[in-house]
Amino acid sequence: MRAPRLARFGVPLVLAGLVVVSGILIPGFMSRSNLTTILLHVSINGIITLGAVYVIITAGIDLSVGSIVGFAGVLTAATLTSGAVLHLLGPVGAAVLAGVVGVAAGAAVGLLNGGVVAWLGVAPFIVTLATMTAARGAARLVTGGIPVGYPDPSDPMQAQKIAALNALHTVGGGRLPMPGLPTGFPVPALVMLAIVALGGFVLVRTRFGRHVYAVGGNEEASRLSGVAVGRVKLATYVISGACAGVAAVLLVGQLRSGGPDAGMLYELNAIAAAVIGGTSLFGGIGTAWGALTGALLIGVLNNGLDLLGVPSFWQEIAKGVIILLAVLFDVWMKKADARRRAQAGRAAAGG
Amino acid sequence: MPEAAAVGSGPLLALEAVTKRFPGVTALDAVDLSVAPGRVHALVGENGAGKSTLLKIVAGAQRPDAGKLLLAGREVRFAAPRDALKAGVTVMYQELSLVPQLSAEANIFLGMEPERRGVLDRRTARARAQDALRALGAEFDPGILASDLSVAEQQLVELARALVRDARLIALDEPTAALSQVEAGRLFEQVRGLCGRGIAVIFVSHRLEEVRRIAEDVTVLRDGRRVFSSRIAAVSDAELIRHMVGRDVEYARLNAAAAPAAVPRLEVRGLTRRGHFTDVSLALRRGEIVGLAGLVGAGRTEVARCVAGADRSDGGTMLLSGAPYRPRSPREAIRRGVVYLPEDRKTQGLVLGMSVRENVTLATLERYSRRGVIRRRTEREAAARETAAVDLRPPEIEREAGTLSGGNQQKVVLAKWLLADADVLIFDEPTRGVDVATKVDLHRQVRALADAGKAILVISSELPEILALADRIVVMREGRVAGALEAAGATAERVLELALPGAHAA
Repeated sequence: MRAPRLARFGVPLVLAGLVVVSGILIPGFMSRSNLTTILLHVSINGIITLGAVYVIITAGIDLSVGSIVGFAGVLTAATLTSGAVLHLLGPVGAAVLAGVVGVAAGAAVGLLNGGVVAWLGVAPFIVTLATMTAARGAARLVTGGIPVGYPDPSDPMQAQKIAALNALHTVGGGRLPMPGLPTGFPVPALVMLAIVALGGFVLVRTRFGRHVYAVGGNEEASRLSGVAVGRVKLATYVISGACAGVAAVLLVGQLRSGGPDAGMLYELNAIAAAVIGGTSLFGGIGTAWGALTGALLIGVLNNGLDLLGVPSFWQEIAKGVIILLAVLFDVWMKKADARRRAQAGRAAAGG
Repeated sequence: MPEAAAVGSGPLLALEAVTKRFPGVTALDAVDLSVAPGRVHALVGENGAGKSTLLKIVAGAQRPDAGKLLLAGREVRFAAPRDALKAGVTVMYQELSLVPQLSAEANIFLGMEPERRGVLDRRTARARAQDALRALGAEFDPGILASDLSVAEQQLVELARALVRDARLIALDEPTAALSQVEAGRLFEQVRGLCGRGIAVIFVSHRLEEVRRIAEDVTVLRDGRRVFSSRIAAVSDAELIRHMVGRDVEYARLNAAAAPAAVPRLEVRGLTRRGHFTDVSLALRRGEIVGLAGLVGAGRTEVARCVAGADRSDGGTMLLSGAPYRPRSPREAIRRGVVYLPEDRKTQGLVLGMSVRENVTLATLERYSRRGVIRRRTEREAAARETAAVDLRPPEIEREAGTLSGGNQQKVVLAKWLLADADVLIFDEPTRGVDVATKVDLHRQVRALADAGKAILVISSELPEILALADRIVVMREGRVAGALEAAGATAERVLELALPGAHAA
């Protein structure tokens, strides 16, 4: 009921099929290290997609997440390598504070998005298009257009800064030792799985989650039922922004620097993954599980095509085709759903 | 009507045994209609009598399930509005169908723009638009945007559109609803002008006085059947009203078990929302059902929405058990015990993609959750208990709300509000689209709620329903209270007299 029956099972089935076929056709695909690599590569997009799913279920859209990754990333990197902060907190403390700053920066942009959407009634597409542009500009303004983070050899605090970058790298690029996995399990993938699990729990088991579906399913009925529609919408944009903030922190940790141009087009990858994962752009339908499978489907496809040596240009075309199929599938499901409903209605009226 | 007669002696448009069914209802049941060229044929009837369905079939927007349409004696089948337009049939709907961002001229030629070698021929368009508008007495420039025109002027654009298409039949759906008296008078002049050109006109209206002024012939529809046709001169208003309200279905009168409380639970004094209704006063007591009668557009729903906090009022006061009450949102109204069951359950009452359970608990979820996490068992139990109380059939709480019949959907909405302990319930057309058996069932439930001490307001366009259910009837007309009746002295004729603008029934 959260998603039409076929959508709920269709995408996981396609994903499973793709994994099996790739496993047979592509040597090395099924190796544990390759599978964990896929998870690692998917994690940033997976986290952003989870946030996107919240917004899209309310029939909104968030185009600003890519720019948030850039904006929150440079603030994270700047905090991490700030002399004052390092003096005060030391490298590990700076890493913690930088993480908080990154997530908070993302949430703050989300708050702005949500506030304008919910209280001023501006179309989400326009609002987030504006913050997408503005956040990117702010990221470039703060940094003068060049990445921040890695210190000059001449920097008197070089050692501490590198220590701080390394501290955050244990999150963004770290591996957790795991029996049977010589390379260990990538921390970002763990973060993604945790966020998806939490996000799924909130959607399905909490009052807030129920309201998210209700607002997307029928805003007017929700309002007349006493649901605080504005607050619910606002919260979804904050969640989306915060998820992008988490992604930014992981990315800075991984790369040991924050670039103002980081995260370009991430919003489109997230929307693509959400849609492939069965989230309906019309609102009311979508799951955290779908966010994960959608992101994984893209990841597996990219990885498989990579291993096969397919040029990246072709990969882009393949991804485009898949997105289109997913949307067609969504539209088709809607129609089938409406037909089913009409039939049930007739049967009920007749009998 | 000089030339008109030459077209042929028979009717321009004839409907023969036209039938149209929708799931659960027969909207038109073997309806005959005959419209002569150069004459105005009025179509009257209560809400839901089948007038709009008939217009849609004439316009090609819907296809009849049985029967046929004859245009100038030849059978026609319209697959789409385009076909009807080509055949010279134009329908002007109440919600005008102009594109507001386009000029009057562009609207007039929409869909049949004159071209020369694939390029818009603007000079011809301008000239012909000007001619058509001038013929209709319009005094504005064809280049003006449709959104800058008044409703009356927009209607002229629609009529001009019909003229440039060489329309032979024009149907007008409640054209004077949004017009001033002067504007209406001007429109009637133009309609007469159209008749002079031999065009046949179908005129749908609630206002008998208007019908008398403009029409030569009249047909009364009731419950999807044609019950009466005549020359208008040969029939009195009283007779027309009798044909409009006479019913096959009568509901058993349901009386209150006890006298209502003396003190009103809800009191509305001089409530006003500009552009919607003015100076509306009414009182609801516990144990009492008040019926709010009136035509569609009389402002009943708007009043209900203000009382329920869905819209804001501009003036007047409301009291709940004597305490000031001015809800700024439905949330606030719900907290005070006032709830609204909307007319359109699909778009306002339910989240169709959600289950019955989720819909029933939507307004009270905080009760079934601890620190924001839903306690699924208590939620399930509450939903099961409340759906059983309203007699949902079958009692499947995990079923998707969108797959339920209209009556069951209404019960789900009701269950939601019973769970919220609401004690002022406003039902807006509670049994629209519901089969007769379920209607009676719902009536009994509404009465039982009143007997249990709730204060109830029922908006209904179905007079028998109001008469069977209400202890008092407040009638609205054109945004104002036209009168109030005790159930004992109320008849359908009396209510309709109050509801119809300008009726002079004996």
